[in-house]
Amino acid sequence: MATREPETGWHGENSDVNHLRGRAFEATCLAATAFGLVSVMLLLLFVANDAFRPFSADAGWLATYAATVVVPLAALAVYYYRLDEPAGEVAYVTSGLPVVGLLLTGGFAVLFIELLSVLEWFALLISLVVAGGLIVAHGRLRPKAALERLAVVLLAPIITVFGLPPTRFNWFVTDAAAALGLDFGLYYRVISLREAILMLPFVPTDWVMLLLTLVLPIAGAAGWFVEQRRESRRDGLTVVGLTTAVAVLGVVAGPLLGIGTDVWLLIVTFAVLPLGVYVEGVLRRGEGVRGLAFPVVAVLGVVVGGVVTGALGFAGPDPWLDWGFLTSATSRTAADAGIYPAMVGSVMMIIVIVLTTFPVGVGAAIYLEEYAPSQGLMGKFVTLIEINIGNLAGVPSVVYGLLGLALFIRVLQWPQGSIIVAGLAVGLLILPIVIISAQEAIRSVPDSFRQASYGMGATRWQTIRQVVLPEALPGILTGTILALGRAIGETAPLLMIGAAASVRLAPNSFFDVASMMPRQIFSWSSELDPSFRHGVLAAGVITLLAVLLVMNATAIVIRNRYQRTG
Amino acid sequence: MSTETPRPDITSRPTGRAARERMYRYVLLLCAAASILVTVSIVVLLARDAITFFTLVNPVDFFTGTEFLISRNVYGLLPLLSGTLLVTVISAVIALPTGVAAAVYLSEYASDQMRSVLKPGLEILAGIPTVVYGIFALVYVTPFLQAIGLPVNTFNILSASIMVGIMIIPMVSSLSEDAMSSVPDSLRQAGYGMGATKFEVTTGVVVPAAASGIFSSFILALSRAIGETMIVVVAAGSRPRMLNLSDPLANLFQGYQPMTAAMVQINSADSVSQLGFTSLFAIGLTLFVITFLLNLLSNRIAARYREEYE
Repeated sequence: MATREPETGWHGENSDVNHLRGRAFEATCLAATAFGLVSVMLLLLFVANDAFRPFSADAGWLATYAATVVVPLAALAVYYYRLDEPAGEVAYVTSGLPVVGLLLTGGFAVLFIELLSVLEWFALLISLVVAGGLIVAHGRLRPKAALERLAVVLLAPIITVFGLPPTRFNWFVTDAAAALGLDFGLYYRVISLREAILMLPFVPTDWVMLLLTLVLPIAGAAGWFVEQRRESRRDGLTVVGLTTAVAVLGVVAGPLLGIGTDVWLLIVTFAVLPLGVYVEGVLRRGEGVRGLAFPVVAVLGVVVGGVVTGALGFAGPDPWLDWGFLTSATSRTAADAGIYPAMVGSVMMIIVIVLTTFPVGVGAAIYLEEYAPSQGLMGKFVTLIEINIGNLAGVPSVVYGLLGLALFIRVLQWPQGSIIVAGLAVGLLILPIVIISAQEAIRSVPDSFRQASYGMGATRWQTIRQVVLPEALPGILTGTILALGRAIGETAPLLMIGAAASVRLAPNSFFDVASMMPRQIFSWSSELDPSFRHGVLAAGVITLLAVLLVMNATAIVIRNRYQRTG
Repeated sequence: MSTETPRPDITSRPTGRAARERMYRYVLLLCAAASILVTVSIVVLLARDAITFFTLVNPVDFFTGTEFLISRNVYGLLPLLSGTLLVTVISAVIALPTGVAAAVYLSEYASDQMRSVLKPGLEILAGIPTVVYGIFALVYVTPFLQAIGLPVNTFNILSASIMVGIMIIPMVSSLSEDAMSSVPDSLRQAGYGMGATKFEVTTGVVVPAAASGIFSSFILALSRAIGETMIVVVAAGSRPRMLNLSDPLANLFQGYQPMTAAMVQINSADSVSQLGFTSLFAIGLTLFVITFLLNLLSNRIAARYREEYE
């Protein structure tokens, strides 16, 4: 309290109040808070410098881009921060959405290139849709047969996706067909709808299939969302129509611009569509419209800078982290080394984790928050589970690797270092984190919501599915994305389950041996060559951190939106 | 409401709805019980091979041996424990005071605006993958230490421990801050009412009142440092070594191999005897038990302190 005046009745010496000591203490504490941050920021600057090598460019190049991009953007940022905060958020989201969209585009493109062809995707999705149709139809026809529906829910997807295993009936059909001189090439099992589609002699072209199974559903979902928000069916239909039009237009115009049609469709779905809906909303609300200037200025700045440097002949930098690095495999020579196969490995590992850990983790959280009794023997068991989850969150990652090694490789004999083993081991590691964050999200749903639902006669499961989960979803998503960020960076379990030090070819199946981004980076860290140590390694680190940054930023945006409405 | 509305059939119950509800309950219970299964399988699977190991190697020799050389079938845990101990101590020296000071600043001094910048910043520190910290240590910190004249080897425990310390700062600071924020304001007001300065209230009232929470965060952070793998694998070298008690300072500049790093090395080595491979599980089980006990202890302390104010 610097302004305290000596008063009558203050019997101490004024020097009893030592201001200096308090100030020094505060400054020390601030320094301690900043210590970790500042040192890591410095290290990141060093790494970024190694990865991008900005100073290998001409001074003129740097000056041009500083003038066209950095200065205007910095000025805008200061303006938003000082004067127009809503615009600042609009600027943040409009710059971030395309990045997230392009990341998703990259992920799906990798999927279609490496894992399954567009036709396989198409067949899989159609089969799932048919299964869903069967379930809905059953619900309509026999609305009261709850147990029967359960059987349909379980069996319909299995039959449409995997077909029926050999049974006596199938033998009979096949034998009868053979006796009649017919040969369908199906021996003793009924093929699934998925396989039937794959065998079709005539299939639509790739872009039609993608349009039907990816663009339209997501555009439809966006349209539905807009319709709900605005209570205007016309707006929803406009979204779907415009998206489809842009997609088809790109298919026609794409070859002229040199963009593949598949890539174009993915970009439309994941980047153009969300951005369009968001920008339209901003314009409609008229709040923070100035924020839209940020991405426009950024793009204009890059274009102008490109024209100027091209005209004046300034040479750009020669970064380690470039397109070639992202799209090629690792190599013994630093100049050719890339991270592509490891990125594919990471993407596929994330798929395994999402498919396995997410349902189990959310299910456990639902049980612990909504069902768990607090008394009796079961109550004790639940307490045990809670304590156990807390402890599992503190078990070192290398122990999870050891668990993966012992369980999946030594006991179950699955291929060493395969993606499925890596995904399951890392999935077990983040399971407690997913459970704890989902529990928090579910707990924050007000109890009055549940009471209202019960009051309407809903059962517990109906309440959970219709009321609690939709309400808790943003929180669950935030926690899961953060946990997935942790999963992408985990290295020790990958080393223990024997993920490949480096692979030249991207994996094509979940049982392939693969390398993942952090594993690949670790292999580079043991290279002594300075061009690896200060070049390729830095580029790998920046790639990994960039992916993490985008994921965390997404999670934070979801959290902020959710906190405002909730 | 028109009168033609058909009367709802409230007497009929959908058949099997109760059964379905029960089934959802059991499926969800199964999900929750999966976490117990994870713990059990860690213990069982690690113990299975560890027991094989201990039938061939005397446990007393294992826990008291001062040499760890797989190629000669000598398995003494103490060199590995020395490495782990060094990493834990050095990183604790860095992280514990820094983390508590940061917690004090965030909870007592920081303006809302400062907090809104610093807290996410600290969260970012916790989100950086540990292999990246390891690379920081090897590629940037070690040369820096050499440049300022410390006689460090290429692989040394000091730079690895510095990075481990920075990595665990957020853990200490966020848990300690929670503890300090939950100290009731009436205690602070009482302090001010007695004429104490902010410094005196902070150090004399808030920190002691939050002591058990701070202590529990210390233990969690130590457990994290003990289990930290990638930083030491990348930067601390691969030579198991005993502590040199005659010249304590020299210890800092050498490479060590903590338990976690040894596990990774044994697993990735090209040719390891069956016995050597099972030693992996003995080390792993030891590590698991140590961290598990520390986590339990931390929970105990935290649980006791929670009772105080609620």
